[in-house]
Amino acid sequence: MEDRLLVTPAPHITSSKTVRGIMLDVVVSLVPASIAAVVIFGVRSLLIILASVVSAVAAEAIYQKLFKKPLTINDMSATVTGLLLALTLPPNVPIWIPIIGSVFAIVIAKQIFGGLGTNFVNPALAGRAFVLAAWPLHMTHDWVTPLGYDALTGATPLAAFNGTGKTALTLRDLLLGLRAGSLGETCIIALLAGGIYLIARDVIDWRIPVGYLGTLALGTWIFGSPNGFFMGDWISGLLLGGAVLGSFFMATDYVTSPVTRRGRLCMGIGAGVVTLLIRLWGSYPEGVTYAILFMNLVTPLIDKYIVPKYYGYAHDVQARKAATGGAK
Amino acid sequence: MSVIGIIISGVLINNFIFMQYLGICPFIGVSQTLETALGMSGAVIFVMTIASAVTAAFEQFVLAQLGLEYLRTIAYILVIAAFVQLVEIFMKKALPGLYKALGIYLPLITTNCAVLGVTMLNVRHSYSILMSTVNGFAGALGWSLAIIIFAGIRERWQLMDIPPALEGFPLALISTGLMSLAFLGFSGLFKGLL
Amino acid sequence: MSEPRRSLGFDFIKGFIQENPTFALAIGMCPTLAVTTSVENGFWMGMAVVFVLTFSNVFVSLLRRFIPDAIRIPIFVILIATPVVIVELVMKAYLPAIYEVMGIFVPLIVVNCIIIARAEAFAYRYPVMNSLMDGLGIGAAYTVNLMVIGGIREFLGTGQIALGSIVFPSAPFFEPAAVMLTPPGGFITLGLLMVLFRVTLGSKAKVEDHSKTS
Repeated sequence: MEDRLLVTPAPHITSSKTVRGIMLDVVVSLVPASIAAVVIFGVRSLLIILASVVSAVAAEAIYQKLFKKPLTINDMSATVTGLLLALTLPPNVPIWIPIIGSVFAIVIAKQIFGGLGTNFVNPALAGRAFVLAAWPLHMTHDWVTPLGYDALTGATPLAAFNGTGKTALTLRDLLLGLRAGSLGETCIIALLAGGIYLIARDVIDWRIPVGYLGTLALGTWIFGSPNGFFMGDWISGLLLGGAVLGSFFMATDYVTSPVTRRGRLCMGIGAGVVTLLIRLWGSYPEGVTYAILFMNLVTPLIDKYIVPKYYGYAHDVQARKAATGGAK
Repeated sequence: MSVIGIIISGVLINNFIFMQYLGICPFIGVSQTLETALGMSGAVIFVMTIASAVTAAFEQFVLAQLGLEYLRTIAYILVIAAFVQLVEIFMKKALPGLYKALGIYLPLITTNCAVLGVTMLNVRHSYSILMSTVNGFAGALGWSLAIIIFAGIRERWQLMDIPPALEGFPLALISTGLMSLAFLGFSGLFKGLL
Repeated sequence: MSEPRRSLGFDFIKGFIQENPTFALAIGMCPTLAVTTSVENGFWMGMAVVFVLTFSNVFVSLLRRFIPDAIRIPIFVILIATPVVIVELVMKAYLPAIYEVMGIFVPLIVVNCIIIARAEAFAYRYPVMNSLMDGLGIGAAYTVNLMVIGGIREFLGTGQIALGSIVFPSAPFFEPAAVMLTPPGGFITLGLLMVLFRVTLGSKAKVEDHSKTS
């Protein structure tokens, strides 16, 4: 009898989109930011990206071979994880950091649960959080001067901004990405291009980045200036750090974000709030990684308690009204 | 430390599960469904808060007065065990509805190291009776947050195909590791302001 | 109660594989995670547990015919708390640095599931000599568990292993991963070791799992 009752997790209505198709779209959307990384921070960026992607794909292939599971590297989800992880790393990190980070991301944060669709945290961010906790010095000091390609070991512009509420960088610098930072986070124009592409291709839901960045902007405006409320430089707050990269490309990961539209908006807002908390009052300069990971954790609860109006709801409401003669 | 400071510390910064390793056995044992997690949370919050108050009072008015601090461990565990037993009896008679919801979790709580743990931590921090109570409440709140989040995640695993070597504790431990990785972000929150 | 005679040797050895408290029975997790930041801490906690467990097992077994079933748990607790207080005082006096590092987990031995579980499942039912062996064996196995986990975490987390004044190797030959000493590192290490145990020795062990969905 049990064999005749087939229970599978959602979704049950599918479209023509394949996993590989979606992943390809994501890779395409990240190409501008990757090119920007090489231009701004040097050829080493390419090395880091390659190391990360190759490690991720290899880790997945080896794990699946070892445990006799079907090979899924062709769906390109490992490629995306590797690429995303690389883009969150400082340009001067030793090569073994993206390698170890990718292996952790794929094996621990994704494969042991059963592969794609079963993880509960964003694998790339889990990998980043792991290497950040393991080698904090590298992850917070291995910067490179933009376009100068010299090593720069100091606080990031975001750290300075959190303390003073001001930054010396011009809007042009911020939009073009001419500042110290992680490989993929600086060139806002490239990121926005990719993000808009994904929204247009219906790969991601705009509610997450809009909710996230909107909340972050609002909070930075209200609390971001040490001289008083409602004076914060919210533009710089949005463009500095990894919020644009995270909100468009990480928080939107299907498996680890809510299913409903209202839920996604909640996730975006929640991530914005936690990012603000950590940036303004926490001991790390950047809160995006932890904010998104935390919202990943509460996504199942969001999905449980923010239930969409079921199909046919409007019809029922009308029917009820008609039955009671429109009164009450 | 202010009351708010203790609460934020207990829930986010020094979360009993993710940062302090307290109360792990029931955390893994009772988190399979949201329902059991909520039930256990209720019992834990209740017991930890009042146990903190009672042991703190006992510390101040008995152990300190008589100079018997070295008997703290024995005294506290007996106080907690007795208290939980009393609560169970009282609940069974007077609050049958609540007993049905929480009652089965009560005996498990005596050995929940989070309960004795928080009373010991109260002594370490030299908290007053009021602050000890708040700390007990805060720690329990953090514990509950952890188990509720985890239950949400675990409910999704029921439909997954997990290899037997990983099933149960190993996967739970690795997942808790990933969750605590996320909670690292809260360390040092509001430092200097609390 | 007439119990069959059990091999004393078996009762000692079984803690290492068949009834390994950490990897097979999965009990007493909290201190396991908390003190395994170094081999040394693991060793001393192990020794403390050996003492308390053996003491408790012996006395529970000696008195098992006189302990009424209804109030056995509180009686166990008293019998366990006594050696714990002794351990606390001795550690405070002779190993103050280790006592400080272990913090509240020394008095927390009194609620360590391993000790209560062995009292309930074994010492309450079997004769004294067997209970003594059970205590020594499970305690010794637990000490080994702690030292292995502690060794891995300490080595990967600091690049070296320090036993007293002996430090090996003299300088780390890789960049140590600080995360291993933090809770995430601890949880993941223990989880992975459990998988390793199950995959290699699982067939021989009595793997009990109170955490699975029923």
